[in-house]
Amino acid sequence: MPRLLSSALALRRDPRILKIPPYISLLCILVGTVWLFLLPLDEYSRRTYISENALLPGQVHTYFGGSDQNVLRAYKQEVNALVGKSNVEINDQLESIVKGLGLKTARQNFTYHAAGRTYEGENLYAILQAPRGDATEAIVLVAAWENVKHEVNRNGMPLVLTLARYFKRWSLWSKDIIILLSPDSIYGPQAWVDAYHDAHDSSHVSSLPLKSGALQGAIAIDYSQEHRFESVHIVYDGVNGQLPNLDLINSVVNIAGGQMGMGVALQEMWQHNNKYPQRLRTMLRGMLKQGLGLASGPHSSFIPYHVDAVTLRPFGEGWQDEMAMGRVVEGTFRSLNNLLEHLHQSFFFYLLMHRERFVSIGTYLPSAMLVAANFTIMAIFLWMKSGQPEPASTAPSSAESEKSAPPPTVERDLFLPLGVVTLCQFASAIPLYLFNQAPESALTPLFTTFLLINTALPFALSQFLTSFYAPSLQQYHLIKSFSLLLLGMFLSALATLNFSLAMIIGLLAAPLSFVGPFPNSPVASIICFVLLNIISPPAVLFASALYWGLDVTSVLREAAVAWHVTGTYSAVVVWCVWWPAWLAASVSVLGRPEAGHKKVKTA
Amino acid sequence: MRQFLPFFSLSLLSFLSTTCGATSTTSDTAAADYHEQLVLRPLPQSALLASFNFRSNITVSEFEAHNFRFFPRSLGQILQHAGTRELHLRFGLGRWDSESWGARPWDGAREGGTGVELWAWLEAQSDEEADHKWLTLTNALSGLFCASLNFIDGTRTTRPVMSFQPEGDHPNTTATDTHLLYGVLPHEVVCTENLTPFLKLLPCKGKAGIATLLDGHKLFDASWQSMAIDVRPICPAGGECVLQIELTIDMVLDIDRSKRPRDNPIPRPPPGHELPCNTSKPYHSHDTCFPADHEANQDWTLSQIFGRSMKGTCPLTDSKVPPVCLQVPNSRAVYHSDGVLEKKNLDRISRCFEIKPDADFEIVLPNPRDDQENNQGAITHIVKPETPLLYAERSFTGHGQERGGMQTILRNPSPDTAVEFIYMESLPWFMRIYLHTMSARIDGQSGKDESLVKEVYYRPAVDRARATQLEVRMRVPPASTVFLTYDFEKSILRYTEYPPDANRGFDVAAAVITILNSANEAVYNLRTTTLLCSLPTPDFSMPYNVIIFTSTAIALAFGGMFNILVRRFVAADEGPEVGLAAVKAKLKGRLAVLAKRFGGAGAKKGVVEEVKPVPVADVKE
Repeated sequence: MPRLLSSALALRRDPRILKIPPYISLLCILVGTVWLFLLPLDEYSRRTYISENALLPGQVHTYFGGSDQNVLRAYKQEVNALVGKSNVEINDQLESIVKGLGLKTARQNFTYHAAGRTYEGENLYAILQAPRGDATEAIVLVAAWENVKHEVNRNGMPLVLTLARYFKRWSLWSKDIIILLSPDSIYGPQAWVDAYHDAHDSSHVSSLPLKSGALQGAIAIDYSQEHRFESVHIVYDGVNGQLPNLDLINSVVNIAGGQMGMGVALQEMWQHNNKYPQRLRTMLRGMLKQGLGLASGPHSSFIPYHVDAVTLRPFGEGWQDEMAMGRVVEGTFRSLNNLLEHLHQSFFFYLLMHRERFVSIGTYLPSAMLVAANFTIMAIFLWMKSGQPEPASTAPSSAESEKSAPPPTVERDLFLPLGVVTLCQFASAIPLYLFNQAPESALTPLFTTFLLINTALPFALSQFLTSFYAPSLQQYHLIKSFSLLLLGMFLSALATLNFSLAMIIGLLAAPLSFVGPFPNSPVASIICFVLLNIISPPAVLFASALYWGLDVTSVLREAAVAWHVTGTYSAVVVWCVWWPAWLAASVSVLGRPEAGHKKVKTA
Repeated sequence: MRQFLPFFSLSLLSFLSTTCGATSTTSDTAAADYHEQLVLRPLPQSALLASFNFRSNITVSEFEAHNFRFFPRSLGQILQHAGTRELHLRFGLGRWDSESWGARPWDGAREGGTGVELWAWLEAQSDEEADHKWLTLTNALSGLFCASLNFIDGTRTTRPVMSFQPEGDHPNTTATDTHLLYGVLPHEVVCTENLTPFLKLLPCKGKAGIATLLDGHKLFDASWQSMAIDVRPICPAGGECVLQIELTIDMVLDIDRSKRPRDNPIPRPPPGHELPCNTSKPYHSHDTCFPADHEANQDWTLSQIFGRSMKGTCPLTDSKVPPVCLQVPNSRAVYHSDGVLEKKNLDRISRCFEIKPDADFEIVLPNPRDDQENNQGAITHIVKPETPLLYAERSFTGHGQERGGMQTILRNPSPDTAVEFIYMESLPWFMRIYLHTMSARIDGQSGKDESLVKEVYYRPAVDRARATQLEVRMRVPPASTVFLTYDFEKSILRYTEYPPDANRGFDVAAAVITILNSANEAVYNLRTTTLLCSLPTPDFSMPYNVIIFTSTAIALAFGGMFNILVRRFVAADEGPEVGLAAVKAKLKGRLAVLAKRFGGAGAKKGVVEEVKPVPVADVKE
C-alpha cells in the first residue's frame, strides 16, 4: 500500500499524466455511445411488467358492443354532417348530443399567439359524474376534432360519444369521467389542462366553469381512418420528453394485445420483429421525439401536470372495428377506475424498444452522463493545463527541481476568460428571443441572417479580443475550460430530466472538447473552424430540416409555437447551452495567443 | 321572503304541522310517540328522491328513569353516559346535483358531507371535560354504528362558533356548561354495515312499514344518499320536555339503474329493436339508431325501484300520519294496490296513501302519456324542482406538491335577494392556510370586494394536535357569482404519518354553508363536495434503497478514505516487526523468560527485546 501510494504521488508529478485526460474524455464519449447501442440487447433491457397490482388490466369482461354499434353509426352520421363546419357550429351540435345523454357540459375559449399567428378555438367538455362518488377524482377521455396531421377524427369522435353513453349506464365508476372534445390536438387540450390546474393566463385562455376532482389519467382517441384496423399505435411522448407512467402503457398493451388480440405498435414502427435492429430503431425514434420535446398528440399536455396519458391511434388494414377499439378503451378505463392511488408504482423514466421491452433510467443514464462527463474532464484538464507554465519556459527549471519541489503553478488571469464566457452565455438570449418572437414571415430571412452572422461572429470576436486584450494561450485555455465546465454541468443536470436531449446535444457538442487554438498554424485553425461550422447549432438545424425534408420556416415556427403554447424548453437548451459553448470553442480555435505576453511565477 | 315560501310548501311535513324547524309550539309532538313516513319525489333525468323519516319521542323524566319505549336503548345509554344534550350524526355518500335536482330535501338540514359527520352539544364544566366526554361519545358511537368514528380525535375536532345552532330547546342551561364539538371523517366509506345498526334503532327494525324498503343493495347504489340521526330536547310551552329522536334516510335513485334486475345487473346493450330511437332522423334504419334515452324511464313501480314491495305498516306508528306520499302533479295517473286510500293534497303536486297494517303496498307510476311530444311535456310530469338559494362549488387551484389554493364558487340565482351565510371549513393541520390571501371577488369585477366578507372567525391549526377552523360570514348580492379564494401550503408529514395509500391523497372535508335569514336563523344548509389533496409523498421504497446505498458507500469509500487519511505511513524497517517474524520474536522472548526462570539468571542470552502490544504498522498520529 505505501509503495502504491508513493508511486501514485510520483505519478502525479509526472508530466505525462497531463497527456491522459483527452484520451479519457474520448473514451467516455465512445463508451457512452457504445453503451447506448448495447441497450436493445436482451442482457441490458428488461421485459415490461405491471407493477401496480390494482390495475388488473384485461381482467374484466367488456360489454361494449351489440346495439351500441347502431348508436355509433348514428353518431357517425351526425359527425360526418359536421365536417367542414365552424368550430362553434360543431360544438353546438356535439353539445346537444352530449346533453341528451344527461351529462353536464361546458365550453372554454382559448387564443394563443405565436410566430405571428393566432391559434384559437373553443373546447367542449362534459363531466360524467361518478354515480356514487363525489368529485374527488376524475379520468379524462379526449377526442380532438383534428389530429396532429389535421385529419378529421371521423371515427374517434362518434366512438367517444357512444362510449360516454355506454359509461353512463354503469354504476361502478369510482371516478368522474370527463369527456373532452377539443377542436385540435395540441392547443385545445393544452388550454384545457392549464385551466383545469389554474395555470393559465386568463387573458388568452378562459377559466373552466365546471370542474371535477384530481385527474388520475387520460386516454385520447385518434381514429381518423375510415376502414377497419389491424393494430393500435400508442403515442406516449409528452412535452419536454416527459413520459407517462409505464404501467399505463403496459395496461393498454395488455388489454389491446393480450385481451383483444390486436397488434400494438410504438413510435410508428408498423412492423416489429423484436430483433436488435428494430428495437434500436424504435428506441432511437423515441429518443429523437423525446429530445425534440414537442407535443405529439392530445395526451402530451397532460403529462407535465403529472396526469398519465396516452393517445391511441388504430392503423393498418385488418378486421378490428370501432367496437373493438371501444372495448380497448373500456378495458383501460376499467383498469384506471380500479386505481386506489395515483399511478406511482412503475417507471416514469424509461426507453421503450418494443411493446414488451424497456430499459429504465438506471441502465441508460450512464451513457448520457459519460458524454457529459467528458466535458467536465476536459474542463478540469484545461484548468490544470492553464496552471502549468508553458513547456518552453519551464523546461530548464524543471530539470533542476525534478524531484524536490511540486510543479510550479502559474497565476491564472481569470477576468478575461470569465468575461468572454459570460458574454457568450448572455448573448444566447438574443437568438432565443428573436426566434421565439419573430413572426412567421420573418423567420426565413432571420434564419439566413443569423446563419451568416453566426459564421462571422467568432472571427469578429476573436479579432476584437486579439486587438484589445491580446489574450495568452492560458486565457484561451481558461475560456474553453469554463465553457466546457458549464456545458458539462448543464448536460449532466439535463440528463436526469430529458435524457435524450442531453444525449443528442452532448454528442453534437462532443467535438468541442477536442479543439483548441493553433498558435503556430493559421491554416489549421481555419480548417478547424470550417469543420466547427458544420456542427454549429444553426447548421445542424438546417441540415436536419433538409434530411427530413422539412421547411426550415416550419421547423422554426413549430419551435416557437411549442415554446409559447406547451412550454417546450428544447430551444433554451439549444440556444443557451449548446450555442454559447460552440461560440466559445470557435473563438478559442481562431485565437492567436500572444506568446510573449504572460506572467510566469513559480510558487 | 319570496325565496323561502316555496320551501314550506315543498316540505310535505309542513302540512302535518310537525316540522323539522322544531322549536315551534306544536302540541302533537308530545302526543304522537312514533311515526314514520316515506316521501317519493321523481326528479328530472329519471331520478327519484326517496325520503324516509322516522321520529319518536320520549319524555325527559322517562328517559332519565331508563324507561325507553320507542327511543333506542343502546343510543340512549350512550347519550346519558356521555352527557350529550343534542346529537347530530350524518352518513353521506355521493353528491346532490343541485343544477338538475334543485333544492335539497329538508332544506339541507338532514344531510352531511361525504363520509361521516358528527356534532353534539355536550354538558361539561370545562373544555377538558368536554373533550373527555367527546372521546367517550365518539368511541361508543363508533361501536354502535360500525364506523370509524373513534378516529375523530383532536386533529379532526373543531368547535364551530357561528355555523351551528342548537335545534332543540335548552331552557335551563348557560353557554358555559354546554359545549359544541364538531368532527368529520371525509374518507369514511358509508356502506351496508352502517345501515344495519341504523335499522336496529327503529321500533319495527325494518320488519314492517316503510323500513322494509330499505335494502342495502339499493340504498348504496343510489346516486346520492344521506343517513341522519338527530336527537334533541323539545320543550313545548307549558308541557313536559321531551327528547326527540329523528332518523332520516334520503336517497336519490337512478330509475334506470334501479330497475335492472338483481340477478342481471350488468348494463349489457339491449337488443337492437328494444333501443328507443329518434325515428325522425333521416338516416334512421334497422342498424342505425340515434338514441332517445332522455325520454325513457319515466315509469316505475315501488317493487322495481326498491327490489321488494312494502310489507304493511309498522303497528306502532301514529295512524294519523300517512306512511307514503308521492310528489307528482295531481294530473298524473298513479295506480296502487287494493285496500289503499289515495288522498290528493290541496297543493296539487302531492298525494298520500293510507295503508292497511297487514297488506302489501305497491304503487305503479306508468309512463306519462305522450300527448305532448315537445320537450316541455316531460317537465310537467314531475314537480318542477325548486331553485336552491345558493349554488356552491369548491375546487383546488394550482398544481404541484408545495403550495395550493382553494377556490369556492358561490352563485346566488335569485334576481332580487341577497344571500347571507356562514361558510365553514375544517381543514386538516397539514394544509396551512395563508389567511392574508383570502379574498372574495364578484365574477366580472377585477379586484377583491371587501364588502362581501362580513366576519371571519379563524382558529389556526396546531401541528399534529388541532385542525384549522375557518368560519366566514359572507353575503352574495343577487344574481351574482362570488369567488372565495385562499392559498395554503402543504406540509411534509413524518414518515410514519402517511397512511398505507399515501399516493391517493388526503381527503379534505366538505365545507359547510349555513344560509341565514334576517333573524340570523339557519334556513338552508348545503355542503360542497370533498376534495383530495395530494401532499408531497416520499417514495416509500426509497428509504430502503438509501439505507443500502449509504451503507455500501460508507463501507467501501468512506472506510477506505478514512483509513488512508488517519494512518501514518512509515517504512517497514522503522516500525515494529510484523507478521511471522513478530510472533517468532515474541515466542523467543517467552522462551527466554522461561529459560531464565528455570535455568538461572543470565544463563543464555543477554537481552531479550520486549515486544510492544501495539497494532502493527499503523501508529496513530
